[in-house]
Amino acid sequence: MLTEREILSTLEMLKSEHLDVRTVTLGVSLLDCSSHDADVFRGRVRTKILTLAGGLVKVCNEVGDKYGIPVVNKRISVSPVAVIGAGFSSKELVKTARLMDEVAADAGIDFIGGFSALVEKGLARGDLALIEAIPEALSETKRVCASVNVASTRAGINMDAVYLMGKTIRSAALASASSDGLACAKLCVFANIPQDIPFMAGAYLGIGEPDAVINVGVSGPGVVKKAIDRARAVSNDLHLGRLSEIIKRTAYKVTRVGELIGREVAARLGVPFGVVDLSLAPTPNVGDSVGEIFQSLGLGSIGVPGSTALLAMLNDAVKKGGAFASSYVGGLSGAFIPVSEDLNIAEAAEKGFLSIEKLEALTSVCSVGLDMVAIPGDTSAETISAIIADEMAIGVVNKKTTATRLIPVPGKKAGEKAFFGGLLGEATIIGVRDGQSSDFVRMGGRIPAPIQSLVN
Amino acid sequence: MSDLVISVFGTDRPGIVASVSKVFFDSGCDVRDVSQTTLQTEFAGIFVVTPPAGLDPADIEERIKKEIVSFGLDVFVKPMGQLEEVTHPKGGEPFVITAMGPDRLGLVAGLTQIIAGFGVNIVNLKAIFRGGNDPRRNIMIYEVDIPCNLDLTDFRDALARRAVELKLDLSIQHRDIFEEINRI
Repeated sequence: MLTEREILSTLEMLKSEHLDVRTVTLGVSLLDCSSHDADVFRGRVRTKILTLAGGLVKVCNEVGDKYGIPVVNKRISVSPVAVIGAGFSSKELVKTARLMDEVAADAGIDFIGGFSALVEKGLARGDLALIEAIPEALSETKRVCASVNVASTRAGINMDAVYLMGKTIRSAALASASSDGLACAKLCVFANIPQDIPFMAGAYLGIGEPDAVINVGVSGPGVVKKAIDRARAVSNDLHLGRLSEIIKRTAYKVTRVGELIGREVAARLGVPFGVVDLSLAPTPNVGDSVGEIFQSLGLGSIGVPGSTALLAMLNDAVKKGGAFASSYVGGLSGAFIPVSEDLNIAEAAEKGFLSIEKLEALTSVCSVGLDMVAIPGDTSAETISAIIADEMAIGVVNKKTTATRLIPVPGKKAGEKAFFGGLLGEATIIGVRDGQSSDFVRMGGRIPAPIQSLVN
Repeated sequence: MSDLVISVFGTDRPGIVASVSKVFFDSGCDVRDVSQTTLQTEFAGIFVVTPPAGLDPADIEERIKKEIVSFGLDVFVKPMGQLEEVTHPKGGEPFVITAMGPDRLGLVAGLTQIIAGFGVNIVNLKAIFRGGNDPRRNIMIYEVDIPCNLDLTDFRDALARRAVELKLDLSIQHRDIFEEINRI
């Protein structure tokens, strides 16, 4: 028999603390769709995705209703388009992006990921075509998300690709200038990209993955914050070890929800269950913020001194609780700090507590990177590339995933606001120190992989 | 001889279960299941026992009454129902219905009418009404078995309509979600 406390505390998490499953993402391998004929290729892509994903939204809603847990987003990730469409020109790949957009709309989902390339060690013909297609593909579609992996701990940092992405980000921003560079909000540049990310914009289905798979992204920053608040209301002298334990237990509960829902959705769709991504993923809603957790733990704002230590503790506790709760953990798994997507973090940027440099420091201890950071529209491609290179270095040396989702907002300067809408939110543009990085960036080549011993 | 069901009711105090179970032991009755609960000051216990061959149910009732007469308790003995007499379907899915809201007359009656109307069996019920408008002071938790052939959407909609009429905030969720979140 369930206890009254078990039932009421669970309902409280649901009704007042934004407990939900943030995303159920169906990975679809498109490796068997290749053809020398682009139209045949796209026809196969359409058929395969809709055959597997036709029931995704309905099944997620039914399972969500059964357990009383909303599945907020239903999404699709596919094999890297630079691989499956390697023989096609950038124009054909733009058409493929349009097709992906249509298919996503037909399946009733808001984002489809996998317009992606893996170029950490070099740029193949298909990779170049895909990167060339990105500005047009992302500015002319609503639902397509792109990612490019330019670095890894084993390969080092492909600086040619980094520079190319700096230029591509500028082009994508200009191509979507009327919407504050929105195309860049759907473009991630990665180091050590995982193959099973369920979260957008970085989701794609890796080459080593099954034909189809369900990956789940949990959320729960609101639940974590309330658990901390409740504990501190009862006893104000809790030390950080005890608070870490409370976060760990809460992460366990949140992850169990994701695992339960994901497994049932996978079973009903007849595809294997992949992983739970243990990320704290905020939305631009009060009470659903990672930034607010900093205040609950005694800091005035995210970004003030102490923030990196606090985030390290938070991230670690979430991983420990989540890892115990799920048999298969993957994806990004850590706290997200997407500036525009988190109301509290966006406010911290507006008040000047967050700079690019402080965000970089934070990303050395959490997932994922410089995420949804709006920068001045006149930031040069070389400076954008240099920021990307810095962030990649953090990931490569620390053997972790890092990424950038930088948005140079056309026609706007530091301190002004950029508006992206919906889940992507709005953000104050953060100033960039333009200190002449262009000579370094233009040198190109590949920064060698770091030594794996002598770890200090 | 079939199993016996012995129900005991009265104001709670230490020693009730000890007294009743002593009678079972002395009479050679094998206790199969026991459940007890207390509501505010009142005790209710239900025992399922296998009596020895030849034991008269009236005799066991008399012995228990004699043992607990000083406690001011009521006892009732009946033969266990046979499986074929059980009318609610087995093998359903366990769900939990939770409702909270301002206190008023007819909350339990209002919801259980819908539950019964759909042929749904209540397995456990806990309801607390402390009065007033604070929803957290007036809570009903029903654990129910929903037959596999029942249209859950229809049931959910009917409950939701009744909840609106009764000004209740109502949830219905599969039991597993509570198990998964709260228990290892």
